[in-house]
Amino acid sequence: MIRFEGVLKAYGSLEVVKKLDLHVLEGEFLVLIGPSGCGKTTTLKMINRLIEPTSGKILVNGQNIMEMNPVTLRRKIGYVIQQIGLFPNMTIMDNVDLVPRLLGWDREKRINRVYELLELVGMDPEVYANRYPNELSGGQQQRIGVLRALAAGPSIILMDEPFGALDPITRENLQDELKNLQSKLNKTIVFVTHDMDEAMKLADRIAIMKDGEIIQLGSPESILRNPSDDFVLEFIGKHRVNSCELEKVESIMKTNPVTTDPDRKGTEMLALMKRKGVNTVLVVKNDKQLIGVVTIEKLDNKQNLTYKAEYLADTGLPVITAGSPAREAFDLLVSQKLEYLPVVDQNRGLLGLVTRTSMVNALASVVWGEEELS
Amino acid sequence: MSAVFSIALEHLWLSVAGVFLACVIGVPMGIVILKIRVLAGPVMGVIDILQTIPSLAMLALVMFFFGLGNMSLITALFIYALLPVVRNTFIGLTGVKSELLEAGKGMGMTGWQLLWQVQLPIALPVILAGFRVAVVTSIGIATIGTLIGAGGLGEPIWRGIQLVNTPMILSGAVPAALLAIIADYSLGLLEKSVVSRGLQVKNTN
Repeated sequence: MIRFEGVLKAYGSLEVVKKLDLHVLEGEFLVLIGPSGCGKTTTLKMINRLIEPTSGKILVNGQNIMEMNPVTLRRKIGYVIQQIGLFPNMTIMDNVDLVPRLLGWDREKRINRVYELLELVGMDPEVYANRYPNELSGGQQQRIGVLRALAAGPSIILMDEPFGALDPITRENLQDELKNLQSKLNKTIVFVTHDMDEAMKLADRIAIMKDGEIIQLGSPESILRNPSDDFVLEFIGKHRVNSCELEKVESIMKTNPVTTDPDRKGTEMLALMKRKGVNTVLVVKNDKQLIGVVTIEKLDNKQNLTYKAEYLADTGLPVITAGSPAREAFDLLVSQKLEYLPVVDQNRGLLGLVTRTSMVNALASVVWGEEELS
Repeated sequence: MSAVFSIALEHLWLSVAGVFLACVIGVPMGIVILKIRVLAGPVMGVIDILQTIPSLAMLALVMFFFGLGNMSLITALFIYALLPVVRNTFIGLTGVKSELLEAGKGMGMTGWQLLWQVQLPIALPVILAGFRVAVVTSIGIATIGTLIGAGGLGEPIWRGIQLVNTPMILSGAVPAALLAIIADYSLGLLEKSVVSRGLQVKNTN
């Protein structure tokens, strides 16, 4: 889709991009990441000729861009910048349909396109189409910025730290939306950032750059698993240890859940819960085999107190098998709104329990590092 | 009364004619020095110097070339109006945020499209402010045009001074002042109606 062949960009004797070879695949989300001054933005801007290479070739769809008219080239490539850059004198409508207008689409087609795009990001066209950028929040403005890049249906989109100036919550939302859009529209996206979290979240492949060179190129997971050198290791920083993506569920489970024999009565279980300070007990047969779970709500009923555990136990609860990624446990907890998730071996033997608390602890250790957690 | 009215109208015409010429020449000049940036310093320097010439001296100098009459006055007003028009055009255009230019260029706008669709509309309030200053000062300066044989409200004022005739002075001075106030006010309204609403709304963030 986009191919860099020995691309060099120098300002005087300073080489900001050195003999770069890179092939961006069709439909891929490629993130260029690195410290400031590493040449990532220069690399991006060479694709739409806002910066022209000193030597080497850049091919878009097999065509050398230096042989194309820059204006024609740019109209075929979506472009989103950090400062958003919506035109304050134009309505949202006029901002979004700028490139279609430059391309001479007829008016009706343009209006339909703008409406369709606004609906795509959940902004009511009747409300927003005729507003001005200054009447929108920063997050809404950058949504429009992204739509503007999509308007003429380019197959390539370049994004230069598009969410860098937004507050963390808005940034997170927009990342989710972009990911979502990408899965629907399947564009080839080249995205520049210096935020590793963002890169991990969005990228199909990450190119880590330093001093004008790509140090490592690969999927987020392969970079995490095999950082090529100390620089990469340092750059991926907090992601390198305890990444939930890589961990197994055993490493985050509690190993001593409160259990009971199947023939204990309700009253005894209530006493057990009180003593241990929990509100669920797992019912296990032969000290190992998981039957089900009894919650305190079940015991909030005089009649039930006289029944045995094996009759009270809810046997239909979801479980997770040892060896599954921790991520899966997390997804289950969240999607099914569970409080806990027993971890079992192949024979349904109970090994432990993942609770929301243990999950949060595991996540916290990823975010803040293990040493700070007692 | 109708005599005063027609003199006032003539006065307005003379003032606006000078400013109008300054706009016709000055706005493109502002664009040229934006595009060819090395010219900005010298051009602004010359216009600045022209502006410092006292108005009476300017009229006398212009008279050498165009003789007595309205033509000389219009030329002098044109020279005075150049500074606010060119300067505000230049400042307004350079004030457009660079990210807007980058976004526009990156999306495939040509230089002219950027100028017409982005830079000029955004610079318009500043350009109009320059125009407004130019009109109001021209109305003032035009009152001494009578000294080089031009028409307008200067005539009753100067004659009134020589005859020590206060009503006659006022019959020129009051309309001249009113003219300036009305011109300023109506140009303010014009600005509101031609500047994009997007540039007038308060930023709600």
